Amino acid sequence: MSHWWNQIRTRLALTYRQKIFLLTALPLVLAVAAISTVVTIQSRQLAAREIRELETQLIDAKRAELKNYLSLARTAIGSIYGNAAPDDEAAKLEVTQILSAMIYGQDGFFFVYDYDGNNLVSPRQTFLIGKNWKGLSDLNGVSVVDTIIRAARSGGGYHAYDWAKPSTRETARMVVYVIGLQDWKWALGTGIFIDDVLSTVAAAEAEVQARIQKTFIYIVLITILALIGVFLAGLLLNLHERRLADAKLRALTERIIDTQEEERGRVARELHDSISQILIGVRYALELARKRVLGGDPKASVSLDKGIEGLTEAIHEVRRISADLRPGVLDDLGLGPALKSLIDEFARRTEIKTEFKTVVFRNLLDKDAKIALYRIAQEALTNVERHAKATHVSIEVFGHRNGATMRIQDNGTGVVDNSAREGVGGLGLRNMQERIDQLKGTLRVLSSENGTIIEASVPLSHMLSPKSKAKAPDTKPRKSA
Amino acid sequence: MNSIVRVVIVDDHPMVADGIRAILESYDDIDVVTTLSNGLEIVDRVAELAPDVILMDLNMPQMGGLSATEILLEHNPQTRILILSMHNAPEYVSTALSHGARGYLLKDVPTEKIHDAILAVMRGETYLCGGASASLSPNISDGREALTAREQTILLQLAQGKSNKEVAADLDISVHTVETHRKNIKRKLGINSTAGLTRYAMEHGVLQGTGVEF
Repeated sequence: MSHWWNQIRTRLALTYRQKIFLLTALPLVLAVAAISTVVTIQSRQLAAREIRELETQLIDAKRAELKNYLSLARTAIGSIYGNAAPDDEAAKLEVTQILSAMIYGQDGFFFVYDYDGNNLVSPRQTFLIGKNWKGLSDLNGVSVVDTIIRAARSGGGYHAYDWAKPSTRETARMVVYVIGLQDWKWALGTGIFIDDVLSTVAAAEAEVQARIQKTFIYIVLITILALIGVFLAGLLLNLHERRLADAKLRALTERIIDTQEEERGRVARELHDSISQILIGVRYALELARKRVLGGDPKASVSLDKGIEGLTEAIHEVRRISADLRPGVLDDLGLGPALKSLIDEFARRTEIKTEFKTVVFRNLLDKDAKIALYRIAQEALTNVERHAKATHVSIEVFGHRNGATMRIQDNGTGVVDNSAREGVGGLGLRNMQERIDQLKGTLRVLSSENGTIIEASVPLSHMLSPKSKAKAPDTKPRKSA
Repeated sequence: MNSIVRVVIVDDHPMVADGIRAILESYDDIDVVTTLSNGLEIVDRVAELAPDVILMDLNMPQMGGLSATEILLEHNPQTRILILSMHNAPEYVSTALSHGARGYLLKDVPTEKIHDAILAVMRGETYLCGGASASLSPNISDGREALTAREQTILLQLAQGKSNKEVAADLDISVHTVETHRKNIKRKLGINSTAGLTRYAMEHGVLQGTGVEF
């Protein structure tokens, strides 16, 4: 169960942005699908009911019409039929003639069958006349003549069946109304083709269908527009963020270049001002010594001593500048000793009380983490010295299951305002944040008027695994020259 | 005490090595056996060269001075090693001493001090030159004593469940030496069992990626 789910998840491997998009788009699509389904079903039902009603109304109208026609015919033959005996053939003939003449409309006519099934009147389809049609049924097997006669016997009624139109010979649905002339055992009826009703209904049905389809298309279009909207909004947001990130990156690059140049200028100045001056002094001393040696002057050793003294001074200067740039302790012995060295030097310089705690392990952080944490500590101590008015500072480094953490705590005045601590000389809290961000670590700054706690943590991924510890920390990389 | 002290210089800067050699050779009571350029060479050749004192630089390619010191002492605890370094930070001095060096010399001291240091070490004294003072070893958060590089390597191997024998084979030292290290580790950490060592390492985040999990 969870196995295939994981497989799907790893195969999909959505980015955060895609997830957000899905989260917006999926409910939208689902909601729209649900709404359109409900709308479609309901409007179909409504339309079907309306159409059924329309059909009933139209057919009822036709039936009423039929009844009127028939009553007209009944009136027309009323006097003859009323006065005739059951076997008055002359009256019967007269009645058939009257009824045959009463044709109306395109396909309207009256017909008469006797109760035995013989056709007596059929003015538009004369081939029926005089023949017995008992048992006749339409193409669908619906009994025609027998049912008509049965309806006539029972006084009168409607029947419907398919019948060929006299005018066009097309088969169409027909509704008939029959009454019985019981004295003569005749079934007198008339019929109307209702294919126009059916086509009206079909047209109405088609119209409804088209309307539903149109609604559906509208919904789909609106959905697509909404999706495009979401997508575009996401894109714009993305673009905006990227632009912001670009601007940030540019600012950072600028700052890096500035810092680099400043640093280079400082190193160049130091080399020029201190070391080269000292070395020039040494050179003068040595030249003087040579002169004295050549001249047999016993004061030669005084000049040599002066040269040696100058060289020692130069060595000290180089050591100082080099340690300033990048403390060797950090690379050789690790973060703990480097921090210890840093905070001891800090204590000597500022006379602020310090405390330092570290772990039993050495050199377990990778180079990036070591340098970042060291620089953060340096930055924090600079801040303490310049702004915090603290009397006590402690640095603690400890490892835990999630990585390593460095905590720097002072009892100073706290970070009053970020801008107050940024800018002047160092790059401040923002610089710390950027350094720790690069390591995917976290930086927490807690500040009040009773002091500041800065906690920088790096994840386990920046701790060297014991396997790669085969190389000892005091080993230096092979130089190419 | 022998009248002539056999000295080996280990330094990857030829100018420095040759300079020291030239100066030491001016003393009658010192014989510079040879100069070597990294820790691995002295570890390989210590038995053959049999020096009385080894002058050792800290930063060297392939194997640095601290690692070499520990390994040399594993094989022969009587080896006298003098660290000769450019670095004057007290942390270097204390680390060197904690790894078993008998003395710490800055390279820019007057050269007669090097001679003094060699003689002092031969007398069994610990020698620190002026300008090099050991820092008090940094306080460990839980009051324990810092491990040496070798002890740390061994702790991590033990914590991964390796036996003394396996560790010995891996580091090319005797089982007895591993046992000594193990005792020192347990003493420093105040932990009696291997499971305790593993837990300690785990809780300090130093066993990641080794497949050891709880």
